[in-house]
Amino acid sequence: MKPDSVAHKVLSPVFLLVGVALMVVSLIMDFTGSSFSGRGAMLVLGLIMALTGLYLLPTLKYHRAIVYVIFLFPLLFAFAITVLIPLVLGVGYSFTDWTGIRFTTWVGLRNYVTMFNDPSFIWSILLTLLFVILNMILVNVIGFALALLCTVKMKLVNFFRAAFFLPNLIGGIVLGYIWQFVFNNVFIDLTKTSLLSQTKTANMAIILVYIWQYAGYIMLIYVTGLTQMPKDVLEAAQIDGANAVKTLFHIKIPMIASTFTICTFLTLTSAFKQFDVNMALTNGNGSVPGFMGSYLSNGTQMLALNIYNTAIAKNNYAQGQAKAVFFFIILAAVSLIQVRLSNKKEVEL
Amino acid sequence: MKRKLTAIVMSGVLAAAMLAGCSSSGSNTETTAAGSNDTTAAAGDTTAAGDTTAAGSQSDSSGGSSGTTLRLVNGKIEVDTQLKALAAEYEKETGVTVQIESMGGGIDIQSTLKGYYQADNMPDIFVCGSDGDFSNWDGLIADLSDEKWTSDTDAGYKTADGRIVGFPYTTEAIGLTYNKSILEKAGIDPATITGPEQLQAAFETLDSKKDELGLTAVIGYSAESTNLYWSTGNHLFGVYLDAGLDRDDTTYIDELNDGGKLDQARFTDYANMVALFNQYSDPDLLVSGTYDQQILNFASGKYAFVTQGSWIGATMTTDDKDQYAAAGNFEVGMLPYAFEDGIDTIQTNSPSWWVVYNNANTDAAKAFLQWCSEDAGQKILVEDAGFISPFKSSQYMADDPFAQTISDYTTAGKTSAWHWLQIKDGIAQNATGVVYQDFASGNLTTEQFVSTMQQVCEQYYAN
Repeated sequence: MKPDSVAHKVLSPVFLLVGVALMVVSLIMDFTGSSFSGRGAMLVLGLIMALTGLYLLPTLKYHRAIVYVIFLFPLLFAFAITVLIPLVLGVGYSFTDWTGIRFTTWVGLRNYVTMFNDPSFIWSILLTLLFVILNMILVNVIGFALALLCTVKMKLVNFFRAAFFLPNLIGGIVLGYIWQFVFNNVFIDLTKTSLLSQTKTANMAIILVYIWQYAGYIMLIYVTGLTQMPKDVLEAAQIDGANAVKTLFHIKIPMIASTFTICTFLTLTSAFKQFDVNMALTNGNGSVPGFMGSYLSNGTQMLALNIYNTAIAKNNYAQGQAKAVFFFIILAAVSLIQVRLSNKKEVEL
Repeated sequence: MKRKLTAIVMSGVLAAAMLAGCSSSGSNTETTAAGSNDTTAAAGDTTAAGDTTAAGSQSDSSGGSSGTTLRLVNGKIEVDTQLKALAAEYEKETGVTVQIESMGGGIDIQSTLKGYYQADNMPDIFVCGSDGDFSNWDGLIADLSDEKWTSDTDAGYKTADGRIVGFPYTTEAIGLTYNKSILEKAGIDPATITGPEQLQAAFETLDSKKDELGLTAVIGYSAESTNLYWSTGNHLFGVYLDAGLDRDDTTYIDELNDGGKLDQARFTDYANMVALFNQYSDPDLLVSGTYDQQILNFASGKYAFVTQGSWIGATMTTDDKDQYAAAGNFEVGMLPYAFEDGIDTIQTNSPSWWVVYNNANTDAAKAFLQWCSEDAGQKILVEDAGFISPFKSSQYMADDPFAQTISDYTTAGKTSAWHWLQIKDGIAQNATGVVYQDFASGNLTTEQFVSTMQQVCEQYYAN
């Protein structure tokens, strides 16, 4: 590698300049609404040329750093396009009266104020919190119980593991519609009216379907934890005369404490983001006669669905965006706490 | 070093070629259409890029040469084939290609269109329904007031300031649909049902003769709020807003749009009718039924009445053809929802309109719409697609069970409009649909239904 060769000295600036120029021109064309059809190709070509120019830059000192950047570029580019830019735009839109097509004025914090004055949104927040707590407990208890059953030495144990895990492989929307059919047409003989037609029972139905979908997945993680437990500890317990219950509470559970942390947070975040089953099963409908002095009709609507319906069905994109920002803050906080706690745990082990 | 450079350049070219390759395959999905919105949205832009770099493998179906290809986003997926036939006919006559992109069956068309708009991939003609839709696109869609067809129909969509911006392509009617042969067998003359007492009497007679008439229930009414909210919250609620009124009478919609107010007396009468429906409906259908069940049972002659409008004719004669034939292909008719004495109209309207997007193709799109309103276009739209023509000059009669009854009411001047299209977006799905369900499942009395509905509307308008 001779960075001061003539080829490098000439080619590098040429490539850089032409590349940047091509990108700038194509971007300008795009923003001014030009109909020239080659502008996409121009942008890509310009980008490749600029990167080539950067690679050929006659420097020894920064060469390594440049190579790193070029290697990271695809990832950073994709991350920026799909996450960073939409996030910034989204926060921006939440301060406007955006309709999904355009916005005319900045409205300041109005969207945020309306949002917290809306009883149905408060209901969605509370319902989501309740749902998260209930599910965190129920899914883990049931998942762990299933894991205990599925680590017993018996025939067909792998079949049972697969069978419990299977619901997790079905997409939430499909699952929701299947269960809607079950509740409305099969269970109706037992329940007289469909479970989905009353708010309380509909919420129970959602929890039931969610557990059915998710417990198998959590079970699989517990199974891994249980099977990786050192056998000598169990043997020692057995020799000391510990019965099954004592082994469970004093040996097994403490030994897989870290698995509990992982599973708790997995269920926590996924329950927070519950959307597809909620949408397919009830679409958030259900009556709540008196909540904060008003009659609500979104008795089973969780946060994610509330945001979606605000934007799409109520045709109020800016308001939906404000709610989404609030949702992002909650989820970011939960995730940060999760990372903190699980890091701590790792150190302890 | 040289070799390295060539390698880089070559791989760059390869990447560009791949990009172009992907996108041209993407463009093929454009005509098949319904679900694959995202891919087509992406395809539009990159296809164009492909034109210059890739060895031109573009088929004639892709966009590019402007002025000769129009793209129409259709909201009625059930007439996809018929509209493609329409497009083929138009191409034969004028040489202008029209691509039909059909959406429906749960796809939210307006939000898909917003995605298209952001991706700079707008169709030339697309479908708009509510007032909210039109005000969203205001300024971006063409003024059609000067088109010839506007003098041939009253059904074009008018903005508040009087411009016509929507092309009506069909007429649909909302009324209390009945099975004529069952009513005849039960000895009930539909013409005598002119008020709530007669309606109640008819329901009671039918209920007492259920077994001999082979009925499951008197009426197929469903207040299920997850999938059928539009039936109660939009259509049935629209009955309160318009039944019995002149086409341009906006008394109750104005009142509602002024902060969600309901007329207590009128709404109480209306609630009594809904209570009657609750009482005599099929219990299996009432709070957990589906649209398919509802129509299938009506087509099979298991209900004397059904709370759906003229659009079910298409389902009865296609999906439910066998059952409908087994039930004797009975004649259907429509009664006014007579919840007060003197209500004698059914409600007809264009359920949605085609609008023209402002771009280089605007004039070509206008010409296409004009053609659609004329003889050749009407023949296909009415005879094949089963649309009931909103145009006075159209001579065709749809082969639809409801065509006759709609035509009778229209000739007699006994029609009201659909002002529910002007209610606040999403109110049926997010608010009122659930109140109907609550009422149907017995959680609310009639008085509570009235007061709750009042409260829910005010609340929804307040936010």
